[in-house]
Amino acid sequence: MSTTSNGLWQRNPALAWREIDDETVIISPTESVMHELNETGSFLWKNIDGRRTAAELAALLAAEYEVTPGAALADTEALLQQLALNKLLVPAGTAMGGAVR
Amino acid sequence: MSIGCVPLRLHVCDARLFSEARERYRAFAAGETQPYSVYLEDSFRENGKNPEFAYDFTAQKAALRAFSTESQFIGAKNAYALDSLLRILLSWVLLRHSGFLLHAATVVRNDRAYVFTGSSGAGKSTVASLSPPGSVLTDEISLLRRENGEWRAYGTPFWGEFRAAGSNRSAPVAGIFGLKHARGNFVEALGPAGLLRNILPNVLFFSGEPAANQRLLEILGQAVKEISGYTLAFRRDRTFWEALPS
Repeated sequence: MSTTSNGLWQRNPALAWREIDDETVIISPTESVMHELNETGSFLWKNIDGRRTAAELAALLAAEYEVTPGAALADTEALLQQLALNKLLVPAGTAMGGAVR
Repeated sequence: MSIGCVPLRLHVCDARLFSEARERYRAFAAGETQPYSVYLEDSFRENGKNPEFAYDFTAQKAALRAFSTESQFIGAKNAYALDSLLRILLSWVLLRHSGFLLHAATVVRNDRAYVFTGSSGAGKSTVASLSPPGSVLTDEISLLRRENGEWRAYGTPFWGEFRAAGSNRSAPVAGIFGLKHARGNFVEALGPAGLLRNILPNVLFFSGEPAANQRLLEILGQAVKEISGYTLAFRRDRTFWEALPS
């Protein structure tokens, strides 16, 4: 997957997001696009903080849900890649002056 | 005037436009105290503050700047441009009133508001035209806001195909119905995420500010949790009412 220089991602601060039931709804104001994450995607989204690596996030996922460490890492990396492609994540340390939840 | 219990005072210098506006918004005239002032100007007037919200309505060569207690419009040379700027402004002002504007027709039945939403051509005006005279709050843009723990739908003066202002009344919301044309009538219940998916494309909002969008999403998130949502497939006759939950 494409990655940052330090391998870390943070949520794009220009986005608006909210948990609804077990899902997370993310809105990109500039593109008027709605993205949805399922329960495990929401779990990872909440734990993406610009400091945790993919391996650390995968360990959290494996501890929370009954998945093997290998499957958790594969799922985590795939989600990070997808989120980054959609600009829902930006490299850690990016200052964009967004909303604070 | 008052739209959705949001008090606004228009300051219009142009006599012709004032006359048009007075006629157009007549049903929404009100003598509220401490209204939010809207000044129609030739150019933006400096007031020493940075606008909290600004929007360029390029199609009409009009623009607005909004501050905490007043707004300035420029380029509002006709009623259409004024109407458009008012919608844009109201979508932002409503954030502080736990409300939002929705492309939707609203019909009152048994003292409850049935809100029918959809994009252009989905059937909003059809639903309105099939409803009893006097029951339609609006066939185009509904205003929903949460008051004392209850969601209410208001009529607005913004015109649809009826070419008539909506009714300046409100009622507690019975449900939001996403419209689909079909040969028969049937209703399908939506969960909160499904309802949000259904209404989001039809919410009027014009700010690109992350904080404003976050606030809007919080309001919508509360709405979809507290308001019953459905899809309504309907044929173009009055029988669709029989499919609606009472």
